[in-house]
Amino acid sequence: MASVTLNQIGKAYGAVTAVEQFDLEIADGEFLVLLGPSGCGKSTTLRMIAGLESITHGDLMIGGKRVNDIDPKDRGVAMVFQNYALYPHKSVFDNMAMALKLQKMPKAEIAERVNGVADMLGLTPYLERKPAALSGGQRQRVAIGRAIVRTPEVFLFDEPLSNLDAKLRVKMRMELQELHGRMGVTSIYVTHDQVEAMTLADRIVILNGGKVAQIGTPREVYDHPATEFVAGFIGSPAMNFMSGRRTGDHWQIIDSDLVLHATERLQSTDPALTLGVRPEHLEVFAPEDAPEGPWVFDAKVKLAELLGADALLNLSVMGQPMLARVGGTDFPLAGQSVRVRIDPARLHAFHPKTGLSIHSEAKQ
Amino acid sequence: MNQKPRFGLYALVTLSVVISFFPIVWLILTSFKNTAGIYAWPPQYWPDPFTLENYISIFTNSPELLRYILNSFIVGVGTTAITLLLGGLSAYALSRLGMRFAGVLMVGILAVSMFPPVSLLPSLFQNFLNFGLLNTYTGLILAHAGLFLPFTVWMLASYFATLPVEIEEAARMDGMGFLRIFLTIVLPLSWPGFVATGLIVFIFSWNEFPLALVLMTQNAMRTAPVGISLYPGEYAFPWETISTATVLAIIPVLVITAIFQKQIVGGLTAGAGK
Ligand SMILES: Nc1ncnc2c1ncn2[C@@H]1O[C@H](COP(=O)(O)OP(=O)(O)OP(=O)(O)O)[C@@H](O)[C@H]1O
Ligand SMILES: [Mg+2]
Repeated sequence: MASVTLNQIGKAYGAVTAVEQFDLEIADGEFLVLLGPSGCGKSTTLRMIAGLESITHGDLMIGGKRVNDIDPKDRGVAMVFQNYALYPHKSVFDNMAMALKLQKMPKAEIAERVNGVADMLGLTPYLERKPAALSGGQRQRVAIGRAIVRTPEVFLFDEPLSNLDAKLRVKMRMELQELHGRMGVTSIYVTHDQVEAMTLADRIVILNGGKVAQIGTPREVYDHPATEFVAGFIGSPAMNFMSGRRTGDHWQIIDSDLVLHATERLQSTDPALTLGVRPEHLEVFAPEDAPEGPWVFDAKVKLAELLGADALLNLSVMGQPMLARVGGTDFPLAGQSVRVRIDPARLHAFHPKTGLSIHSEAKQ
Repeated sequence: MNQKPRFGLYALVTLSVVISFFPIVWLILTSFKNTAGIYAWPPQYWPDPFTLENYISIFTNSPELLRYILNSFIVGVGTTAITLLLGGLSAYALSRLGMRFAGVLMVGILAVSMFPPVSLLPSLFQNFLNFGLLNTYTGLILAHAGLFLPFTVWMLASYFATLPVEIEEAARMDGMGFLRIFLTIVLPLSWPGFVATGLIVFIFSWNEFPLALVLMTQNAMRTAPVGISLYPGEYAFPWETISTATVLAIIPVLVITAIFQKQIVGGLTAGAGK
């Protein structure tokens, strides 16, 4: 097992910067997730760590040793690919045994190790089959098994679950979680699925356009998003954003009659701010049950959608469109007038130009 | 659903089959006729009398015709082996090693193959003479390999492009080197591409005329197309012997094609889907 250190690591393809230089310290045994939209540089970063992509800038250390110029096979890393990348013409056993064979490990030892891992992953009945005769989930298990057999210092995963159907994805996610708990091997996991990121990660690195937007625990990136991008990317449905203009000690929300008191949390020298609040942080009341207070506003339900346990309400809060997430029983229907309470402690504010949170300076 | 276009399609297929098969059928029929039957007027369609005379006489009187076929076979197999080996390695290097000028090189390779082979003949002849390569299998194999390598590289490179690169990356992470990945992963996975390309090269080499004519001047070294076309008759052109020899010369190609037919079709369309 080993720690991984990215020291001002960056990648450029000619004039195009794929990943801007950044620092990252991954502790021994940590489960780190690289999260971001398509094309943000997640795979590129992972492939630099794997050794499949050359490193343009910076130093990569695994277990305290600089490995920039070391072959992938000698870095002590094992990778699980999105499309499994199994050898189609070899049996499951041979797929898993390949790396050990190449290390010239004695046959008996190889068989013992492969059988042990196959047993752990429930692959024993399929050892003689070719990958084509397996289901998607089984193939992904073989790919994971192939990585485990090598007992690497670091596991690398590039969207390993994205080819599976929704149900299987949840199951495999839990298996991966359990596996990590049992083996405790440092893992770096690429995904664009925030649920995977939130559930698996010790820490999440959120990338956007080749730039690191935030590094933090799932709690931190959810509660204290450092940028408007992170705030919008984490959480589902996405955070409600609105543009505010300063009028005295209030923020006037543009194109609506909504006026928010500039509490201590919303102090800024900017003449304008982007304000945000998550759908789950809006409380919706029938007019007669609503509490009084400066944070309770009149609203109208435009559309109500039942999701099951929850319902989503498309609201117009004094002219400002907002989405609210409420309990799935006894929620107001479209056309009804309601009162909405915004939790002022859950309001986020971002500089409109830079997208940076006005709280993050204080936080970091 | 709609019958008319279907009928048209069948008619077209039938027509093209008839047109392309007519000469071959005629050739085969001729090989079973006697001299009188060949020159008969009005032309004889079905051999009458139907005779195996020509085949027997080739094996007894003109063994050199069999020698030509053997020569063609040796040159064809040699050419195919060399082009697949060299072409496979270069195509793999060009498509996977991330070389800077790979694209330029590919176009360059194509450009070289634009020269008509005949224009190379004088200098080729002179050099082969100097190196003692005239009238040797090695010589003609080298010449054919040079001629067909660009085609091979292009065919195989486009086949490799259809293989998912992650499999090779996984092999790299497992600890394989370039040559080992090529031999144990790429080769088995692109087998249909190799078979299709190899077969086409074999047929090209089998039929190639100008180089074979000039570089193999001794009778015993001639290849089938050259030898058969130069086959001398005493008084008249020996149609029955020539048609029989040609039928015999087609047989090896037909047999090989039949064996690998599945791979050819798969290989030629492999880049099309998925
Ligand atoms: N060989 C290359 N040459 C030039 N640009 C490249 C090359 N490979 C990747 N890029 C660019 O680098 C950026 C990052 O790509 P990368 O594959 O890391 O994205 P990703 O975050 O993994 O996206 P996805 O979720 O779609 O897999 C992209 O903008 C891509 O266009
Ligand atoms: Mg990717």
